[in-house]
Amino acid sequence: MDSISSRPSKSKKIILRSVIALGLALGCVSAVKREDFKTCAQSGFCTRNRAYADLAKETPNWTSPYQLTTSSLKLQNGVLTGDLINTQEDKHPSPRPGLSFELHLLDNDAVRVRINERDPVSPRYDGVQDTVLIKPYGLAKDSAYTRLDKDAAGALTIQYGAQDQNKIKVSSAPFKIEFFVNDVPTVVLNDEGLLRFERLRKKEEESKKEEGKEEEGKEESKLVDQDAAGDEVDIKVEKSPLELKLEENLWEERFKDHTDSKPRGPESIGLDITFSGINHVYGVPEHATSLSLKATKGAGAPYSEPYRLYNLDVFEYEIDNPMALYGSIPFMLGHSKNSTAAVFWMNAAETWVDVEKNAEDKDSGLLSWIKSKKAVSTPATKTHWISEAGVLDLFVFLGPTHRDIFRQYSSLVGTTALPQSFSIAYHQCRWNYNSQQDVAEVDAGFDEHDIPYDVLWLDIEHTDGKRYFTWDNAKFPNPTDMQQSLSAKGRKMVTIIDPHIKKDDNYHVSKEGAELDVYIKNKDGNTAFDGWCWPGSSQWIDFYNPKARDWWASQFSYDRYIGSTKSLFTWNDMNEPSVFNGPEITIPKDVIHYGNVEHRNVHNLYGTMFHSATAQGLTQRNETNQRPFVLSRAFFAGTQRFGAIWTGDNMASWEHLEIASPMLLTIGLSGLPFSGADVGGFFGNPDAELLTRWYQAGIYYPFFRAHAHIDSKRREPWLFGEPYTSQIREAVRTRYTFLPFWYTLFHEASVDGTPIIRPMFTEFPEDEAVFATDDQYMVGNALLVKPVSKAGVTRSTVYFAGDEKWFDIKDYSVEQGPGAKEIASPADKIPVYQRAGTIVPKRERPRRSSKAMENDPFTLVIALDSQGEATGRIYLDDGETFNYEQGDYILREFRASNGVLSSHNLKTGSVGKTSEFVQRIGALRIERLVILGSKTKLTKVTVGNGNVAEVECSKAPIGGSYVCTVKEPKVAIGEDFELSWV
Amino acid sequence: MKANVLCIPLLVSIALNLVQANVPDNERPRGVAPSRAKLYTPDSTGNWKCLDGSKTISSKSINDDFCDCPDGSDEPGTSACGNTYFYCENIGHLPAYIRTSRLNDGVCDPECCDGTDEFDGLTHCPNVCQEVGTEARKERERVRKIEKEGSKIKSKYIAYGKGAKKRLREQLQNLKTKTAQIEEKTAKAQAVLDELNAKRQEYLESSKAEREAARKIQLEPFIQQQKQMLAKAIEIKSKFRSTLDDLKENYNKNYHDLAVKATITGFDEYLEELKQEEADAAAQESKEADQDLTAIKLLTLAQTQTYDVKKEIGRMFQLIKSMKEGYNTEYNDEAVLKAIKVLDDFAPSWKDDQNEFVDEDDIEVPEEVIETPQLADSGKGVFDSIYGSIRKAAKSVGIGFLFKEPKSELEQAQETHRKTSDEQKKLKDEIAGVERKLETDYGKDEAFAQLVDQCFEYKEAEYTYSLCLFGEAHQKSNSDISLGKFSSWVGDNHDTQMYTGGLRCWNGPERSVKVTMSCGAVNEIVAVSEPSKCEYLLKFRTPAACRIISDSEVPEDPNVIPEAIMPGTVPEGAEKKKHDEL
Repeated sequence: MDSISSRPSKSKKIILRSVIALGLALGCVSAVKREDFKTCAQSGFCTRNRAYADLAKETPNWTSPYQLTTSSLKLQNGVLTGDLINTQEDKHPSPRPGLSFELHLLDNDAVRVRINERDPVSPRYDGVQDTVLIKPYGLAKDSAYTRLDKDAAGALTIQYGAQDQNKIKVSSAPFKIEFFVNDVPTVVLNDEGLLRFERLRKKEEESKKEEGKEEEGKEESKLVDQDAAGDEVDIKVEKSPLELKLEENLWEERFKDHTDSKPRGPESIGLDITFSGINHVYGVPEHATSLSLKATKGAGAPYSEPYRLYNLDVFEYEIDNPMALYGSIPFMLGHSKNSTAAVFWMNAAETWVDVEKNAEDKDSGLLSWIKSKKAVSTPATKTHWISEAGVLDLFVFLGPTHRDIFRQYSSLVGTTALPQSFSIAYHQCRWNYNSQQDVAEVDAGFDEHDIPYDVLWLDIEHTDGKRYFTWDNAKFPNPTDMQQSLSAKGRKMVTIIDPHIKKDDNYHVSKEGAELDVYIKNKDGNTAFDGWCWPGSSQWIDFYNPKARDWWASQFSYDRYIGSTKSLFTWNDMNEPSVFNGPEITIPKDVIHYGNVEHRNVHNLYGTMFHSATAQGLTQRNETNQRPFVLSRAFFAGTQRFGAIWTGDNMASWEHLEIASPMLLTIGLSGLPFSGADVGGFFGNPDAELLTRWYQAGIYYPFFRAHAHIDSKRREPWLFGEPYTSQIREAVRTRYTFLPFWYTLFHEASVDGTPIIRPMFTEFPEDEAVFATDDQYMVGNALLVKPVSKAGVTRSTVYFAGDEKWFDIKDYSVEQGPGAKEIASPADKIPVYQRAGTIVPKRERPRRSSKAMENDPFTLVIALDSQGEATGRIYLDDGETFNYEQGDYILREFRASNGVLSSHNLKTGSVGKTSEFVQRIGALRIERLVILGSKTKLTKVTVGNGNVAEVECSKAPIGGSYVCTVKEPKVAIGEDFELSWV
Repeated sequence: MKANVLCIPLLVSIALNLVQANVPDNERPRGVAPSRAKLYTPDSTGNWKCLDGSKTISSKSINDDFCDCPDGSDEPGTSACGNTYFYCENIGHLPAYIRTSRLNDGVCDPECCDGTDEFDGLTHCPNVCQEVGTEARKERERVRKIEKEGSKIKSKYIAYGKGAKKRLREQLQNLKTKTAQIEEKTAKAQAVLDELNAKRQEYLESSKAEREAARKIQLEPFIQQQKQMLAKAIEIKSKFRSTLDDLKENYNKNYHDLAVKATITGFDEYLEELKQEEADAAAQESKEADQDLTAIKLLTLAQTQTYDVKKEIGRMFQLIKSMKEGYNTEYNDEAVLKAIKVLDDFAPSWKDDQNEFVDEDDIEVPEEVIETPQLADSGKGVFDSIYGSIRKAAKSVGIGFLFKEPKSELEQAQETHRKTSDEQKKLKDEIAGVERKLETDYGKDEAFAQLVDQCFEYKEAEYTYSLCLFGEAHQKSNSDISLGKFSSWVGDNHDTQMYTGGLRCWNGPERSVKVTMSCGAVNEIVAVSEPSKCEYLLKFRTPAACRIISDSEVPEDPNVIPEAIMPGTVPEGAEKKKHDEL
């Protein structure tokens, strides 16, 4: 705006008009109320830090004023410590020393960097680690690292890592940390010199300073500089607009009708992180954007706003926009052909992240691959992280592979909890199923139309006036019977429980909450905060209060939650938290949590704390040792330990179907694999084609639920008639046939943090053609999925990565990689392929629920690669209890090689005596083997003990190989066997 | 192959018992009904062909818990294929088929009361066919009674219905005869009127210029005054309009404030109506566009316009007012507050009881006095002139009310014409009504004719639903909302009606009701639900939906167990039965 105001008024008018026209045009295409949510320019700390970055860019030879005091550096027991000073602030003898610096070498090869104030006027909030990190981590042993000699510039270098592959170079003046893997630079901290740490100060001092300034004139201030002789001289400088921005909104901030009182004043932190040699970065969900993050700064950047991390309830959110959404995970992964690295910025306050690319490459796919072949400039992605409060606490993961990074990251924040098996089957939801009768009819509809489903959901209207834990008795006179009639068919129910509690003395939860004093407090720290949500005037439980968490958890016991049964589970919505009359539809930042913690510090974690207390409640409500199931809308790093999330209130449009894939892939690679998007789209009415295509895509979401807004028309899967009902039935059944494979993937994720649905680049890390691909993806390492997300499309271009074959999962037709090919995607199927070299366990018998499949036999689909080899796994447990923690499970690897299929136990350690479960389920048979990729017609299949099984092959080869089916090889899923074919 | 298929039903219908005798129970594959057992007989080599003919397999593969046939026919007794049906004998009740995907799935399916669907030993399903059968027989007996009663009533309905159409046709004939008579009368009256009008017109034409000049001078000030009022009203209207446009565009959807939502809905409905009116007006305008308007027309036009604009203001005022009364003050939604501010600013000039704002009183337009000369020589000239002078004298002393102004000849002719044409119109409407009734489909044998315009109510929570058959459906609580008018039957079975075109929903469709009819001894609404927003489902029981049971019909013998029909197959004799029904 500054540049505009300096122009002649005529041009100004023209510009203003065009701005208005642009605004109107945008208003037409989207329903989101952008003006309800802040831009960086409307956020004081974002403005200040962004202005600092602009200042650095504008200033020739910009040098970071931060320096490590070399003499203070100590490296001991895996921890490097030292003093960090800001040469502009700490020049004069100061009553306060500077900042403390720590670098931790972790025993999992990750590195933690912490910067905090040495002696702040009041403690900075440092509690995020207490809830986000799962346990104290181990530090690298002294023997695991080597301190190398200082170089000429005085930089300290540490070599460490399992293979001594990593080097960390710490430069003192200016302060900078470079990470190398095998001597290739990967991550650099403060490379651009954007480190900025606002120290806490007293307002009185500030106002005195302000007064002093007044006398000298608003736009002037004293700066300290050095003359040639090194003597300090005072010079008067007129402040530039950027410098003025550095002081914006320090003590109070307004947005629309709301004032943020900011009693502690400015306390933001900012740092730039450069990914060297890396063109693609991923992560920092949740945004409705592409998988490979687009630039927000620099020439030709597609976005002008940074990615914002601030959990918000956004009505009809806009696609292709870095605006904040319901959840936040400050995790970013960078990847190039040569290196892979990631960072975790452990901060739960409002955070903004700018992304700038050195070699901006807007093209994806093949074009970028061709281009990169002749690329000349060194690519790098520069990111700038800005948080409103807290301490600077950062983890760097150097891999060297993706799997290593996922394992390193998840060993700190936790892996996904192993879900109950029903929860990875199909969920049927709607706002609202209106009555017990309605529930019975929908349930019967599924049976009548022979479409399997596992869970029926009730939204807010099921309650007595939005009082959670209650029922509308007129519409649901007997909830227990209702749940039992579902559970008789192996089905479950989920009810919604939100964190806002209706203010009502006659409502037991509200009353108890007040008596126990467990509500979030106003900024005065005494009175309970009161806001508006579904029930009207409400209060919010303070889940930072341990007493509140326990009390909340206890609400789920059967004798408190009247009408709940063992087959009832929970949905936590509106937990950003959504406050209808709050700033940006959420709770004010200056409200107070337990321990006098300002909400500002913990906003992005609130939903997770709620989620965790609910999961605790479901876990402890019974003695049957059942795992909980809780779906949440808000999330943060660590949410995976408590349950699933979904992408919130999407819309019934092709664009929203399309964006679901990159959103879910991003959330998954950020450590939270159990996620889904509402099938069909929440707002609006999908036509039959869109709904069908969404089911065909949705069966490959880890969390698979259909949902609809109260104003939308009914859309239970049979309501559009034929051919749609059959197409949807086929899709849902396909999900059910793959449940053993999905469950095995969940187990893998629960052990080492691997995503379940995976971006192409994680499975094909050296194929640059797929680095930006997000319209197709992998389920585990075996299935390639390409959703159809355009109306009327019956042909799709699929990119077949790698040098091996791919087999269509329905007709076993063959495609050969690498390369893109146009594939038929008629109305009844989307392209899904099994990768050669994999073995996928399935259960192919159609059933009405996953529970009904638990005694069914298995099918193994063995896709041989060009060497005639394939491997795969299966994990099985009771799907309900925590008994697997005591070793009550089956984990096996199947390996096909040289015409022999073998099954090996992968369970490690002593597992005690074989349980009843392992015996019973382990004895289930493999009824069928489907062998793909055999160059000859198989004629004889022999099992180790001499049994001969029937085998039947396709009459002619398909794509150069035969499809052969082995009938009843008479082997059990839980036993070692060898089976050979010729 | 073809011949084979064709001969099967023949064979079955001739010798059902024989076939059963030929395939002993212990050889019949599990899950196969006795009548289909022969389909599972292996050929001489011990092989067997899938029922869809797609494959030949060893007969040992039947029910071996592995799916060989694409149609699942080799596994009628296991879940291996899951896409065919299992026969439960249900001795003591009725035999039934269930999907093989439901075998050994841990669920005791009610269709198999004998528990034979769960045979893997993991789930025990007790045989409850005796109890279920007894209950079912009782229930069948109860239903049969109702059906019988309904059938009796329906017979009466049919008798009435057939008579009704006859009566209607007679009525139509009468009305048509009457119409002919009245048409003649009207024509005569019209002729008289036309003549008088022509004469009057002649006079008016000749005096037009001078009269209009005088009238113009007389009315000019009034016209100006009225135009000012109109301009002012338009200004206020556009202020309200832009306020509401602004509110609609900018209100905060996140707040879910019902009062605000209701106002937006009302505004949308208003805009919808406006669109329609504007279209009508456009058509009207083009007709009048080029006419040189007389002073009085100008004035009345301005008056009508003012009235219309005020009406619109009133409507928008009420929309914002109701929002003001109900909105959530906590939200501080700027758009809402802005609208309320406009309302408050305007409120002092608002008169609630008249639902309009206060400005100058309406203008009373002075009448033009036209001394019309006698149009026809009626022979009453002398009397009239005497009467006229007496009346004049009486008027001058204040007792003019005693003397009626004599009706002019023209007025008399007008009245006569009005009477006859009113009568004619009334008849026309009646005829249309009768014709519509004659055209309406009252179901087979006119069974529903008796119910025409009969209304029924049903209470659920705070709502009372009413349905007038072949008329309109309503939902009443504080307000009375139309859910739609009868539009048609759905399908050919005369068991489902649609009522459409009800009040439009906010953000949704026009309300509509689907009415499903089932047999009952009395007419009643038994359930109302709203499966989708604004799409209602009303379940109605009526004798009109019953089957006619003739006295000669033998009640079903509880000891005769009807054959269960395998889904997807055509039972023998079914074709014939269908033809009988037709």
